[in-house]
Amino acid sequence: MPESTHLQAIATAIIDGEAEDAMEATKAALEDNVDPMEILNRGLMDAADEVGKRFERSEYFLPELMLTGRALKGAMEIVKPVLLEKYADNDSQVKGKVVSATVHTDIHDIGKNIVSSMLTAAGFEVTDMGVDVPIKSIIDKAEEIEARVICLSALLTTSMPFMKDLIQLLDARGIRQKYIVLVGGASVTESWAMHIGADGTARNAADAVKLARAKIGA
Amino acid sequence: MLNYLDILDRAQTGPYISEENWDLEKIAMTTRRLVKKYKLEWNPNELVTDDAALSEAIWKAGYEMAVELGSYSRSTERIIQLSQDEIDSGIRNMPQEVVMGEGKDARTLYARHLNDERAPLFFGGSPGTPIPEKIFLANVISYMQEPLIDLATCGTLVEVDGREVRTGNPIEIVSTRRELQYMRQGLKRVGRAGMGMLAAQSSVSELGDLAAAHPDYLRSCDSHLVPMLNELKMDHRNISRAVNSLEYGMVNASLPCVIVGGLGGGPAGSAVINVASYLIANITCLADYHILHPIHVRHVATSTRDVLWVINATGQAFARHAPTIIVADIYPKSGAGTKELLYETAANAIVNAVSGNHLEGCGAADGNAPNCSGLEARLMAEVALASHRMKMSMKEANDFVLQLLPKYEHVFTQDGNPGKPFNEVYDTVKIEPLDFWQKMYEEVKTELKEMGLKL
Ligand code: B12
Repeated sequence: MPESTHLQAIATAIIDGEAEDAMEATKAALEDNVDPMEILNRGLMDAADEVGKRFERSEYFLPELMLTGRALKGAMEIVKPVLLEKYADNDSQVKGKVVSATVHTDIHDIGKNIVSSMLTAAGFEVTDMGVDVPIKSIIDKAEEIEARVICLSALLTTSMPFMKDLIQLLDARGIRQKYIVLVGGASVTESWAMHIGADGTARNAADAVKLARAKIGA
Repeated sequence: MLNYLDILDRAQTGPYISEENWDLEKIAMTTRRLVKKYKLEWNPNELVTDDAALSEAIWKAGYEMAVELGSYSRSTERIIQLSQDEIDSGIRNMPQEVVMGEGKDARTLYARHLNDERAPLFFGGSPGTPIPEKIFLANVISYMQEPLIDLATCGTLVEVDGREVRTGNPIEIVSTRRELQYMRQGLKRVGRAGMGMLAAQSSVSELGDLAAAHPDYLRSCDSHLVPMLNELKMDHRNISRAVNSLEYGMVNASLPCVIVGGLGGGPAGSAVINVASYLIANITCLADYHILHPIHVRHVATSTRDVLWVINATGQAFARHAPTIIVADIYPKSGAGTKELLYETAANAIVNAVSGNHLEGCGAADGNAPNCSGLEARLMAEVALASHRMKMSMKEANDFVLQLLPKYEHVFTQDGNPGKPFNEVYDTVKIEPLDFWQKMYEEVKTELKEMGLKL
C-alpha cells in the first residue's frame, strides 16, 4: 500500500474517533515501513487539527473531541516507541507532559475537559486529574510524571485564589522554574494571570493549545 | 416514595463505571441513539415551534434516557440506579404549587401549562454573579423595588470586609451569612420583608448552605440551589445540600446546566438530556422546582439560537406531558448599559413566556461581572407579561424572536459585550438608572412596541 493510503486510513480513523481502527491503521503503516514521523505529523496531528477546526465550527461536539482523544492515545502508544527509537535525540516531537486539573472546591470541568482534549489532540501527553483537586496533589502529580506544563482551570472567583496558592507553593518548594503554569476559566484575565505569576492564560481551547506550544517551544 | 437515604446507599453500592465511560458510553451514546430513534431535528429558523409530535418525541426520548441511565455519583464512581417505577412516582409527585415567602409578600409558584391563564412569576437578581460588597445591597434593592418582581435572588459575595473569599474555607460561612443579611435588609428597606428568595448563592461548597439554614438567614419558605453535574451526575457535596433541606424544609431548586454542544451534541440531544435531568432531579435533588439553564458550549449565553430552541423544547415537553414548576435563568451575553442586553432579554422573555416557564434574571454579561441592574429585569417581566396578555402563539413568538436575533447576534462573534458595572449605570444612593441607561431602555421599548409587542 502506498504511504499516502496508510496516512489517509489513519487520519480517517482519528477524525471518526475510532480507536481500534486508528491502532490497526498505525500498526499496518509501521509494518509497511512508513516513517513514524510522517505518521505522527501527517496522519495523526493533521487529522487532530481538522477535528479541532470542526469543533470550532460547531460541526463536531464534545463526544467527538473525546473520542478523537481516545483514538489518538491508542495510536500514540503504538507509534511512540518506534518514534523514540528512530529519533532518539529529537524527542521534542513528542510534545511534553501536561497535568491538568480544576482546582480545589471547583467542579466546573467542561472548559477544562475541552482544553485537555485539544491539548491531547495537539500531541501533548495529558494527565487530567479531574475536578476539585487540592493544589498539593496537583504538584505531587506533576513531580511524579515529570510534567512540563501545569494547566489549572477555575470558574469561580472564590476558587481562583487556589491558583495563586499553587504558584506560591511551587516557589516555596523551589521548583517554580521547572513548570510552565497556565491558568484559565471564564473569570481569569490576562492581568490577573500576570499578577499571580502564571506563565499565561487563554480565552479558549484553541488559543490554549497555541499558548502551550509557544511556551514549550514546540 | 423513595427514602432519600436510599440514594446515599445506592451511591455507595451501585455498579462501578469510570467517569469517562459514563460520559461517553452512557450519556453520549444513549443520546445519539435516541436522537436517531426519534428522528429529532432542530430548525435554526423555527426556535419556537408548535410541532406537537416533535415535543412528544423529545419527551419520550428524555423519559427513556432517565429510566435507562439513572444517575451517577462522581464521589464514588458508581451508578445510582433508579427503576422505572421510581421515575414514574417522581413524576407523579412533582409539586404543582409551592408557596414561597410569607405574609402579604408570599407568592405561589405553580406548574404552568401551555396557554396557561395565569401569568408567569419573576425572580429578580443576577444569580451567582460576583458582586463587590460595597455595591451588593444597592444592587439587590434595584431588583427588589421593581413592582413586577415577585421573588428575589442575588449574586455572590467574593469578598467580606476586604478579605478575599475562598470556597471551602471558613470564610465561606461568613460570606453566605453576610449575603443573606444584605438580602433580608434589602427586602425590609423596600417594604417587602416577606418576599421569597432563591439565595445562599455565595455557598459554593456545602459549607455556606449548611450555615445559612436558619430562620435569620434562609427561611424554610426560601429556596436554595441543588446543582447537578453534567450530565446526570451528582456528588456528595451536592447531595449534602439536598440532605440539608430534609428536616429544615427549604425549597429545593434543582440546577442542571445542560451544555448545548457538549456530551449531548447539538440542540436536539441537549433537549433530551434536559428532560432526563429533571426526571432524575425529582429524586436525586429532591426538586420542588427546576431551574432551566441550558448553556452554549462556547458562548454560554441563553440567547443563542440553539439554546433558545432547547429552552422552548424542554419547557414545552413538560408543559404538554407532565407539568412541573420550571424557572428559566435568563443569561444574556451582554452587560448593563448596552442595547444588546435588552434585545437578548426580550428574546428570552418571549420564548419562556410561551413555553410554560417562570423567569429569573438577568445574569447579564454571562453572570461573570457585576454588570447587571434591576432595569433589565423590569424589561424581562414587562415583555413576558405582554406576551402572556397577548396570548401569543408559538408562531408569533418565533416571528418576534427572528426579528430580535439580528439586533444582537453580532455579540457572539466579537469578544463579548460586557457593558458597565452596576455603579456606572445606576445612581447607587437613589437606586435609580442613570439617564443614558434609562434612555436606552425607553428606546428599545419603543422599538419593541413598533414590532407589535403590546407593552
Ligand atoms: C455550567 C455551569 C455550572 C455547572 C457546571 C457543570 C460542569 N460539569 O462543569 C453547575 C450547574 C454544576 C454549576 C455549579 C455552580 N456554579 Co456554575 N456555571 C456554569 C456556567 C453557566 C458555564 C460554565 C461553562 O461550562 N462554560 C463553557 C466552557 C466551555 O467555558 P469555560 O469553562 O470558560 O472554558 C473555556 C475557557 O475559559 C478556557 N479555559 C478553561 N479552563 C482553562 C484552563 C487553561 C489552562 C486555559 C489556558 C484555558 C482554559 O478554555 C475553555 C474552552 O474554550 C458559568 C457561567 C460562565 N459565565 O462561565 C457558571 C458560573 C461559573 N457558576 C457560578 C456559580 C456561582 C456556581 C455555583 C456556586 C452555584 C451555586 N450557588 O451552587 C455552583 C458551584 C459548584 C462548585 N463547587 O464549583 C458563577 C461563578 C461566579 C464567580 N465568578 O464566582 C458563574 C459565572 C455563573 C453565575 N453567575 O452563577 N455551574
